[in-house]
Amino acid sequence: MAKGDKKNEWKEFFWNPRTREFCGRTASSWGLIFLFYLAFYIFLAGMFILTMYVMLLTLDDNKPTYQDRLATPGLMIRPKGEEMEIIYAKENTESWDTHVQALNSFLSPYNDSVQEQKNYACKPDQYFKQEDSDSVKNNPKRSCQFRRSILEDCSGLTDRYYGYDEGKPCIIIKLNRVIGMLPGKDGQAPSISCAPKKYKIGKDEWIDDTDKMGEVAYFPRNGTFNLMYFPYYGKKAQVNYSQPLVAIKFLNITLNTEINVECKIIANNIPNLNERDKFAGRVSFKLRINSRN
Amino acid sequence: MTKSDSYEMFVEMDNVDGDVKIKKKKKMKKKEKLESMKKEMDIDDHEITLEELEMRYSTSITKGLSSTFAQEVLERDGPNELKPPKGTPEYVKFARQLAGGLQCLMWVAAVICFIAFGIEISKGEISGYDDLYLAITLIAVVVVTGCFGYYQEFKSTNIIASFKNLVPQQALVIRDGQKNQINANLLVVGDLVEIKGGDRVPADIRVITSQGCKVDNSSLTGESEPQTRSPECTHESPLETRNIAFFSTTCLEGVATGVIINTGDRTIIGRIASLASGVGNEKTPIAIEIEHFVDIIAGLAIFFGFTFFVVAMFIGYAFLEAMIFFMAIVVAYVPEGLLATVTVCLSLTAKRLARKNCVVKNLEAVETLGSTSVICSDKTGTLTQNRMTVAHLWFDNMIHAADTTEDQSGQSFDQSSETWRALGRVASLCNRAVFKPNQETVPIPKLSIHELEDPLDLRYLLVMKGAPERILERCSTILIKGQELPLDEQWKEAFQTAYMDLGGLGERVLGFCHIYLNEKEFPRGYTFDTDEMNFTTSGLCFAGLISMIDPPRATVPDAVMKCRTAGIRVVMVTGDHPITARAIAANVGIISEGSETVEDIATRLRIPVEQVKKSDARACVINGGQLKDMTSDELDDALRNHPEMVFARTSPQQKLIIVESCQRLGSIVAVTGDGVNDSPALKKADIGIAMGIAGSDAAKNAADMILLDDNFASIVTGVEQGRLIFDNLKKSIAYTLTKNIPELTPYLIYITVSVPLPLGCITILFIELATDIFPSVSLAYEKAESDIMHLKPRNPRRDRLVNEALAVYSYFQIGAIQSFAGFTDYFTAMAQEGWFPLLCVGLRSQWEDVRLQDLQDSYGQEWTYSQRLYQEYTCYTVFFVSIEVCQIADVLIRKTRRLSAFQQGFFRNKVLVSAIVFQLCLGNLLCYCPGMPNIFNFMPIRVQWWFVPLPYGILIFVYDEIRKLAVRRHPGSWWDQELYY
Repeated sequence: MAKGDKKNEWKEFFWNPRTREFCGRTASSWGLIFLFYLAFYIFLAGMFILTMYVMLLTLDDNKPTYQDRLATPGLMIRPKGEEMEIIYAKENTESWDTHVQALNSFLSPYNDSVQEQKNYACKPDQYFKQEDSDSVKNNPKRSCQFRRSILEDCSGLTDRYYGYDEGKPCIIIKLNRVIGMLPGKDGQAPSISCAPKKYKIGKDEWIDDTDKMGEVAYFPRNGTFNLMYFPYYGKKAQVNYSQPLVAIKFLNITLNTEINVECKIIANNIPNLNERDKFAGRVSFKLRINSRN
Repeated sequence: MTKSDSYEMFVEMDNVDGDVKIKKKKKMKKKEKLESMKKEMDIDDHEITLEELEMRYSTSITKGLSSTFAQEVLERDGPNELKPPKGTPEYVKFARQLAGGLQCLMWVAAVICFIAFGIEISKGEISGYDDLYLAITLIAVVVVTGCFGYYQEFKSTNIIASFKNLVPQQALVIRDGQKNQINANLLVVGDLVEIKGGDRVPADIRVITSQGCKVDNSSLTGESEPQTRSPECTHESPLETRNIAFFSTTCLEGVATGVIINTGDRTIIGRIASLASGVGNEKTPIAIEIEHFVDIIAGLAIFFGFTFFVVAMFIGYAFLEAMIFFMAIVVAYVPEGLLATVTVCLSLTAKRLARKNCVVKNLEAVETLGSTSVICSDKTGTLTQNRMTVAHLWFDNMIHAADTTEDQSGQSFDQSSETWRALGRVASLCNRAVFKPNQETVPIPKLSIHELEDPLDLRYLLVMKGAPERILERCSTILIKGQELPLDEQWKEAFQTAYMDLGGLGERVLGFCHIYLNEKEFPRGYTFDTDEMNFTTSGLCFAGLISMIDPPRATVPDAVMKCRTAGIRVVMVTGDHPITARAIAANVGIISEGSETVEDIATRLRIPVEQVKKSDARACVINGGQLKDMTSDELDDALRNHPEMVFARTSPQQKLIIVESCQRLGSIVAVTGDGVNDSPALKKADIGIAMGIAGSDAAKNAADMILLDDNFASIVTGVEQGRLIFDNLKKSIAYTLTKNIPELTPYLIYITVSVPLPLGCITILFIELATDIFPSVSLAYEKAESDIMHLKPRNPRRDRLVNEALAVYSYFQIGAIQSFAGFTDYFTAMAQEGWFPLLCVGLRSQWEDVRLQDLQDSYGQEWTYSQRLYQEYTCYTVFFVSIEVCQIADVLIRKTRRLSAFQQGFFRNKVLVSAIVFQLCLGNLLCYCPGMPNIFNFMPIRVQWWFVPLPYGILIFVYDEIRKLAVRRHPGSWWDQELYY
C-alpha cells in the first residue's frame, strides 16, 4: 500500500495530469523560470566576458605581466631517454639509434645553412639587446646564429653517431627560454658544469661516482652559453630565436655501471639551489653503457 | 500487584498481537506492551481483607516477616530500588557521531584517497603525498567534528547526573516482631513497615494502622493537598483509595504501619518510570530537518560524483583518475563544516538559555521549542507553586482576596478590622495544634485552648477550625466588625453564599471560631481533657472563613499570554480535581475570560448538555474518567474543536495518550511537568521540560530541558530563542551551501575542458573548515528581522529548514556568481603569468606531465614541472581568495532574508564584523605565511588579485538588495515565491 502510494506520489510529481504540472511546475512556470535563468546567465556571462576582455587588454603581447615562477630557468637534456635515463649497449645499434635520431631532429634547425639564412651573426660576448624606442616597437627582432658546428664533436656533422657507438656519448643541454633573462653579470658568461651526483649511502655518508665518470669534454669550450643569445624577446617578436646549447661528451666512462650525473648552470645571478625543483638551474640523469668487453 | 499478575497481563497482550501481525512481531510486541502499560493498572491488594493480605504475602500484620523468609524473597524479587534507565553505552554514542550521512560520504572519500595512494605506491610512482594528506585530513575532520558533538552531549548529560540523589534511604521495618532500621533497598514484599511524618514511603504499602497520617502525592497525582491515609478501602481504584501509600511519596504528618505490596520496579512509580523508558525518544524537528537535507546533499554529491565519473571514463581518463575525480567532487560538494556550524549555533543558543536558567540536555531541543505549537502543561508545581496558600478570607460579611504571590509582593487587603485580628489569631493558634488522636477521619473540627497573653485577663481562649458547616453548627454568635452578633438566619445565608462562592473558585475552605472560656468555670490550672471533652464546645463565636488554594506562580499568566500571541496553544493536563484545575486554568489564562465550556452553555441556556453545539464552546474540561471512555478519534475531535483544553484527574498513561493525540494532529508538542506522573509524557513529547527545583528525578531524566528556577516564563524565552535559531540556522546553511558551487565548478571545468586544476581539495577543506566557519557561526548572533513572537509557529511540513528556494538561490544564483568570480581571477592569474585562456583549454595532460620540463607558455617561455605546479598552487590561492571575497559579500546578504541590510544595520552584529575581519586575517596568513606553499599549497599571490573578484562581490550584494526589495514590495508575487527562502 505505502509503496504504491509513494510510487504514485513520484508519478504525480513527474507528471500531474490534473494541474498539468511537470516536476511540480506548469509549462508556463517552467518557461518563466527558464527565461529568468537565461537572462541571469547571459548577464553573468556578459560580465565574465567583459572582465576577461578588460583583463586581456592589459596584457602585453611580447612580455608577460609577471614572471614570478621563472626566477631560475630550467635545464633539460637531449636525448631525454626514459625517465631521464640513458641506457644502451654499445654493440647493439638499435639500443642507441633512437637517441641518435632524437639528436638529429633536435639539431636540424641549428644546421649552419638554416642559421645563416634566417639569423644574424651577432657580436659575441655581449648581450644582444634590441630595446623598443618609446613609441615605435622594434619588431620583429633579430636572433643570433647558433651554428650546429659550434658543437664540434657533438654536432653530428663529423661523427654521425654522436659517439654513441664508441661508448663516448654526447648529451646536449639546453637552458629554458625565459623572456628578458640576462644570465651572467659583469660580462661573465653562464656555463654548464657536470659532475657525478652525490648520493647518500648511509647516515651522513655521501659518495659519488667521480672515478667512474671519467673525463668530460664541453662544447663549446668551457660549456658556456654566449651572452649574445640573451635576452630572449618572446616567440612573437623573435620568431627565429635559437636557444643556445651546450654539449657534453663523456670521454672515458666506466662501462657496465650506472652513473648519476648532475649538470648545473654556473652564473653569478642565477640561484640554482632550489631543493624542490630538481630541474631549476640543474638537471640530473642516469647514464649506463653496457658492453660485452 | 504481584509479579505473576503483571506477567499475565503482558502475556495476554502478546497473544493478541501474535495472532494479528506475525511479520513485524518483535516491533509490534514492544508497541503492544507499551499499549498495555498505558492502560490503567489494576490491583486488588487494597480491597481484600487483612487476613487475605496476610495469606497472600505469608506475613503477619503484627510481627512482620521472618528474617530468613525476607531474605528468600529478597533473592527472588531483587532489591527494592528503581533500576536506572538503561543508558546508551558511551562508545555507541561516539560511534553514532561518526556515522551520519555526510560523515559516511567523507569516509568513502577518505577510503578512495587511500586506495589511490595505495595504487600509486604499488606502481612505484609516488607523485606526491597529497592523496594521503587528504585522506588523513578527511578522517581528522570527521573525528574532530564527532568529538565535538560527543563533548557537547557529554557535557549536558553531566549536568543531569549531578541531580541524582545518592543518599541511601532508611526504613523502619518490623521483622520477627522486632523493629529494625534497615536500608530501604533491602525491603521485600510482605514486610511490615512503619512510617512517620517526614519519611519517604519506602515502597507501595497497604496501610494497616494509621494515626493522622497524611502523604504528599503531588508528584504522583498532581494533588497539592496532603492526602489522608487510613486503613479503610475507600475507592476501587488503587490510586484513589486511602489505604495505599505509594513509593517515593512523602509522609507529611502522623504515623502509619503497613504491609509492603510492591517493591522496586513493580511499584506504581517504578511502572511509570519504566513506562517512560519504554516510550521511544521522538526525533526532534531539527534533527528531521537536518537529516532531510543531509540526505539530499549526500544524494546530490553521489549523483554529481558518479555522473562525472562516467563522463571522465567516457572522455578517456584512467579508472584511477576517474575515481580521484569522484572523490574530489564529493569533497568539493559536501559541506564539511556544516555539521560543526549547526552544532556550534545550537550550543551557543543553549548557552544563552542556560544563562536564563534553562538547561538543555539535548542540543537539538533548543530549536524544538521554537517550532512548538502546543504546550501540555502540568498544573501542580509547574503552573502553581505547589503550596497551599491563603487566597481568600471571608469576614465582616465580605470576601477579601489575599496576596498569593511567591514573595508577598502583591496587594494585601485592609487589615484594620477587629474581626481580622480575631480571625488571624484563631488561624495562627490552630496551626498544627494538639488534636484528638485517632479521630482525624471523623469530621470533628480541630480545636485548641490557650492562655491569653494579657496577664490581667485570666480567661482561657478556645479556638477551633474545621469544615465550615461543622464549625457553624457549634456557633451561636458571629463576629462582625469586632462585635459579637447573634447568628441568625440572615447571617447563615450570607455564610452559605460566601462558602459556595469560595468553593466554586476551586479553593479549600476552612471555618474558624473561638470563645473566651468563663474565668470561674475554667480557672488557671484547669486540666483540659480532650478525650472527655470537659469544656464548652458549643455556642462559640464564628470568626470567619479562610479559603486556600495552590496559587499560580506570578509569572505564569503573562507567559501564557505570550504563548498565545506566539500562536502556541497551552493545554493543562493535571492529576488534580476538575474544579481546582479549571479555577487555576482560568486564573492563568489557559481558559480565557468569556470562554465557556459545553456545561457552562448548557447552564446558561438551560438546555441539556447534549443539545449544545460542541463547536460553540471554546473551552473544555475533561476528566480522567471521561477520557477513559473516549476513543482516540473522539479525543482528537475534542482537541480540534476546543482551543482551550483542561484535562483533570489524568493518570500518567492518559497524559501520554493526550500528547500522542496532539502529535497525531500534526502539532509539535512541548510538555512541562515536575512529577513522576509526568515523566512518560515528558519523554513522549517532542520536547519535555522539567522543573529543576520542584521536579522529581524521574521527570528530569525524561526531560530534554530543565528550568532551573522553575519559572514557566523561561519557556517563552526558550520559544523566542528557538525561533530565532531556526531563522539564523537557515541563514547559516544558506551561507555554507553557497560556496559549494564555486568549489565544485573548478573540477567540472577541469574534467570537461582540461584546464590546469583551478582549486585543490586541501584548499577546499581550508575554506570549509577554517575561514568560513566563524562567519557562518556568527550568523547565529543575528537579531530577529521581525517580531518573531507574533508569528504562528512554523508548520513542520511546509516550512522546511532548507527549502527549494534556498537551495536554488544559493546554488544557481549566488553560487554561480561566485564561480564566475573565481574563474575570472583564475584566468587573470594564469594570463598575467603567461598562460592565455585559450592556451589553457586542453592543456591539462601536458601541464601535469611530470617528465615535461620545458612546456612553452603563450610567450614561448619554457616552464619546468615544478614551476607549473607552483603556478597551479597560485591558481588555487587565487580561486580561494575569490571565494573568500565573495563569501564576505555573501555573509552580508545572509544577515537578512527580507529586510535590507541597511535596515538591519551592518555593525550591529559585532560578532559578524569580527568574523569578517578574522576571515580576512586568516586568508592573509594562509597566503603570506612563509612555508605555506609546500605545506598547504598556498602561494603568496599578488595583491591586485584580491581585487579581481570585487566586482562580483558587489554584484552579489546589489543583486540581493534588489531581490529583497522586490520581495518586500511585492509580497506573493512570482518573484517572492521563487526567490524568497
